[in-house]
Amino acid sequence: MGVAVKIAGFTKKFGNVVAVNNLNLEIYEGEMFGLLGPNGSGKSTTLLTIATVYKPTSGDIYVFGHSVTKEDDIVRGYVGIAFQEPKAMWVDTPYELLLWHAKIVGYSSSGAKQVVREVMEKLELWEHRNKQFYQLSGGTRKKLEIAKVLIQRPKLAIFDEPTAQVDVLTKHALWDVVRAMRDEGSTIIVATNDMFEAERICERIAIIYKGELRALGTVKELKDRVPGGDVVEVSFEGSKERVEKVLSKLDGMGKLILQNDRIVAYLNRGEERAAEIVSTLLEAGVRVKRIMVQEPTLDDVFFYFTGARLGES
Amino acid sequence: MQTSDLRAMLLLVQWDLMRMWRRRIFVLMRITWFAVQVSIFGLALTAMVRFRGIVSAQLDYYHFYLLGVYTSMLFSISVSNAYEVAEEFEEGIIEYHLTLPIKRRVLSLGRAVGGGLAAFIFTLPMYAIVLMLLGGGPPEAIAVSLAASAVFSVGIVGLVLSLVLSVKSGDATDILFGIIDAVIVRLSTIFYPAVVLSRVAPYYYAALVNPLSHLVDLARTFFFFEEYRVLAIASPVTMAAYLLGLAAGLVSLAIYIVERKLEGGGWR
Repeated sequence: MGVAVKIAGFTKKFGNVVAVNNLNLEIYEGEMFGLLGPNGSGKSTTLLTIATVYKPTSGDIYVFGHSVTKEDDIVRGYVGIAFQEPKAMWVDTPYELLLWHAKIVGYSSSGAKQVVREVMEKLELWEHRNKQFYQLSGGTRKKLEIAKVLIQRPKLAIFDEPTAQVDVLTKHALWDVVRAMRDEGSTIIVATNDMFEAERICERIAIIYKGELRALGTVKELKDRVPGGDVVEVSFEGSKERVEKVLSKLDGMGKLILQNDRIVAYLNRGEERAAEIVSTLLEAGVRVKRIMVQEPTLDDVFFYFTGARLGES
Repeated sequence: MQTSDLRAMLLLVQWDLMRMWRRRIFVLMRITWFAVQVSIFGLALTAMVRFRGIVSAQLDYYHFYLLGVYTSMLFSISVSNAYEVAEEFEEGIIEYHLTLPIKRRVLSLGRAVGGGLAAFIFTLPMYAIVLMLLGGGPPEAIAVSLAASAVFSVGIVGLVLSLVLSVKSGDATDILFGIIDAVIVRLSTIFYPAVVLSRVAPYYYAALVNPLSHLVDLARTFFFFEEYRVLAIASPVTMAAYLLGLAAGLVSLAIYIVERKLEGGGWR
């Protein structure tokens, strides 16, 4: 798999404020990549630098091998971005905006009309086409921003908090749209502070906090890196003391909590260890009624790597 | 899929023309104000002002004033682009434009030409009123004055883009362009011929380098050549070259700033 975006020692300062500090990471072609972090963590700064809106203070970013500092004209040919805040003047109408956008990204006049109609219908924007921007709801404005990327069909599609302020049904619909773009060949970067969104649509995630990369990997890898992060809960019939004695002899069991006919173990790779726990208990003559494995939430992962809860930070 | 440089530029010009169309009520108000200005204030002023000695009796102040007030209007409308660009920056439109798959050079050139043409087209009804009140004019005078006005307007919008995108402040834009609009018009030959200004040295030298003086005196020279040549600040070729050079310089400055310096954010 080729590298779509290579971020090499990227630092961005605004005056004395360091927005992003020495960021290094690679995003692969065709993947759905998530930048997870609270507001002000440096996600948008990174994305806007990839889109050539900002210039790096030091370091560089390469998009399909082209430097954003030296070859920004070429880079823009690859990138399409849906901004966090929809960009339009209050008097603009969605249809006019999107038609102009379609033309400037390369469609012929007739092709532009066709693709704008298709995309507006797909996103249920068609009925709003002649309204003025100020008359649109927050969710409709977000769709308008996403429509620009759908029309452009860039090799690298960037979505900055695509479903913030959007209702649940629309969220799912927009996620489907983003996934479909990836299936059609685009590399996707999504910036979000929504754990559920990151977990649902991203294959790999970079946790960014206070302008620095704190963790990088698939959701599963990140969860597995939280020590004692998995929770294995076993319901049984038999002596509690016996169960505790047997299980505590197993390697890497971590913390054990006994509650009546249940025992809760905090450990790594819980789904792999569950079978070992069951067989050990059976060998010890304990009847296992039920076993349940729970992964840590992504919020737990974020807490582990940053020391802050996403909602609090 | 990518659009050609020429098509992108034309679309950017279209962007500014669409903006102007959305402000059509404002345009209509300005045209009405202009009609009142030239018909009531202009005539009243002419009743009080006479040229003495240096020009023939065929040139009256009213004709002199008409081309002056048109030029000042063209300048004001071109400068008002500053507020449009500032608003676009505040609403994130400039950031959006910076992400488009087009060259920054094309972006800045397209916006300068688009903004300039929009301002020029905005003032065309006023130009028609002036022409009517002048009783028409030689075709070459109309052609030269229109061409010079378009070039001038593009240059002023180039300056506006450079300044607004550099200061990145709505308040600073309001103050800066309020002052520019008020001062530059006064320090020119818009309402007073250079010979009158020559009695006040700073005014005179400011008027000599002021592009408004060059535009208005170029137009006056072509409309009333024999009568006006003694009053114009320079020869027609010099004035035309000055306007072209200035427009090219100011648009180049805008290109430099957009290409090398401009970043999104930092406005609020």
